[in-house]
Amino acid sequence: MKKYLMPALIALLPASGMAAPKAEDVVRDTVLPGFVALAEASHDLATAAQGACSQDNGELKARFGEAFDAWVAVSHLRFGPTETDERAFALAFWPDSRGATPSRLGALIRDRDPVVEDPAAFGSVSIAARGFYGLEYLLYDGAIATPDTADYRCALGRAVAADIARNADAILEDWQDRYLALFETAGENDVYRSEEEALQELFKAVTAGLQFTSDTRLGRPLGTYDKPRAARAEARRSGRSLRHVVISLEATRELARALAADAPDVAAALGKAYDSALEKAAGLSDDPVFAGVSDPSGRFRVEILQQKIDELRTVVAGELGPHLGVEAGFNSLDGD
Amino acid sequence: MPTRRAFIGGLAAASAYAGRGWAKVGHPAYLAAARDGTGAYRLFGLDEDGNGLFSVDLPDRGHAAAAHPHRAQAVAFARRPGTFAIVIDCETGRTTSVLNAPAGMHFYGHGAFSADGTRLFTTENEFDTATGMIGVWDVADGYRRIGSFASGGIGPHDVRLMPDGRTLVVANGGIETHPDSGRAKLNIPFMQPNLTYVSLSGEIVEQVEPEASRHMNSIRHLAVSPDGLVAFAMQWQGDVSEAPSLVALHRRGAAFTYLDTPPDEHRKMQGYAGSIAFSGNGAQVAITSPRGGLVQVFDVATARYRRSISMADVCGVAPAQGGFTITSGTGEIGRPDGASAGVLIQHDVQWDNHLVALHA
Repeated sequence: MKKYLMPALIALLPASGMAAPKAEDVVRDTVLPGFVALAEASHDLATAAQGACSQDNGELKARFGEAFDAWVAVSHLRFGPTETDERAFALAFWPDSRGATPSRLGALIRDRDPVVEDPAAFGSVSIAARGFYGLEYLLYDGAIATPDTADYRCALGRAVAADIARNADAILEDWQDRYLALFETAGENDVYRSEEEALQELFKAVTAGLQFTSDTRLGRPLGTYDKPRAARAEARRSGRSLRHVVISLEATRELARALAADAPDVAAALGKAYDSALEKAAGLSDDPVFAGVSDPSGRFRVEILQQKIDELRTVVAGELGPHLGVEAGFNSLDGD
Repeated sequence: MPTRRAFIGGLAAASAYAGRGWAKVGHPAYLAAARDGTGAYRLFGLDEDGNGLFSVDLPDRGHAAAAHPHRAQAVAFARRPGTFAIVIDCETGRTTSVLNAPAGMHFYGHGAFSADGTRLFTTENEFDTATGMIGVWDVADGYRRIGSFASGGIGPHDVRLMPDGRTLVVANGGIETHPDSGRAKLNIPFMQPNLTYVSLSGEIVEQVEPEASRHMNSIRHLAVSPDGLVAFAMQWQGDVSEAPSLVALHRRGAAFTYLDTPPDEHRKMQGYAGSIAFSGNGAQVAITSPRGGLVQVFDVATARYRRSISMADVCGVAPAQGGFTITSGTGEIGRPDGASAGVLIQHDVQWDNHLVALHA
């Protein structure tokens, strides 16, 4: 019996004998460029914020959009440099289930808080008022733009943009000065004690990114059938909700593809599942902020997209995970 | 050092344990939920050595169960954000009552009975306001809901009855979730877990918060010794490489005592402890990490790390004569001895998160 089973077992084992991708190569080719792009776009945004800063400044909004795109494209890479000093939360505090962002921004504006003049001090302002989601409020929310607060909001916008650039720099420098070396020396350091562990960190970034997109980017506006929550769509004021879903899908696809570089079957299954999800997302281009969740047919289209992403998650967990030696434990993958 | 008999005796006194009902189903030592070989979910009664005494059907994957102190009844909770729990007669296998969370609430997966078995207390989320609640249910009246009170924090997960029989200890994990967003964590940068002691009528009698640097360490699971020492297991929400201690002790009126682990061993837990239990004699406490496939044991008196035990996908842990009983997602049941998992028996099931000791 055992003899008979052997060939099947070998076929199922991770392909350790094959030329598996090296985690450090994946980081250099797929991860680091995203953080370089984020730092560059954030500096362009901070520079643009030095000029005119009213809500009808198309130049500033364009730079904002580019930098926000760059953030979303790395938003699944939540380990190491992004987590130190809560940098990622300071760049992107969302979802904001308690309305902390408008509340903290409102308090700063009401008090004309001089903290905006001191970059170092601004780094200790509540993260709810900082980052891309805070800046989106300042650039796009109608209610916040009262005429008598224009000058202060301008100064606040500059402070937020400069803080974004500082955080993006800090993440990139941390990657270059410290964290890349941990991937280069995987197996010889305490964070990644084997090459496999380093690959698994990158794998987890794919699964976490897809889960966030399904549960949060789509789940929050979907709400329930009886209580849809279109107003909870991510970055709806700037019309970016669907855009974030697409950018994040594309970014996790690039990473997943790199991780499956030596496994054509896995890569093919992933490619098919990603294509299917992205196709449904493209079909929603007439509803960029998921406003349709409130009517049955519009809702159905968002639900189908969510379902396709969940199918994709199953492929990632069932095919890419085993390929990288991630055990699908009954308890280990079901934290509570 | 208290003996196991003293440990059980202390609890028996506290819980007015009569045992009549449970005797009819073979005096199980433990309850545990599992997925069986056919993919169906079942709740099992086990003896001290892990042998199956009975099993009953569950409608879906369970999280934890609460055992009635003397009736052979178990309350099985669905995984969060479940809105129902079922009361199972372990003698007949029949569902005798269904607990439905009121509108706007869901269960968090754990519950505790009063010492006399007349009341059941359940951890709940009033999700639109993210208020942690404790639901109160009248056992004699078919588990009718008779009230609720605030748990003292966000995201209450585990709840236990203190040995005084008048106080509950609640692990307010601090993490806000909303069923619309699945299991997504909505407030990590602002989360603030705490340990809350609350009277059976809902007055908060003591509350302890970890210091700011540990605010992302979600307090999830509890164990209580007969003399009122509380042990709790945590799950770190920040970067895994920065995870602080995952286990601590607390005695009413005192500060937390964190139990530190040597860095190499600590790292293997991956910032995550899934279950916690005192040993049968109360002298040690163990936490499990299914992600690390590891059990870690500490001395209570000295607060010192003692040893680690490897077992793939281990999560359930409960007191046993001579130490602990552990269960895993691969079906093993063990009685750790030194660094060995001490496998007693292998079942053709996948044991779920928790092993519930019937007398504790």
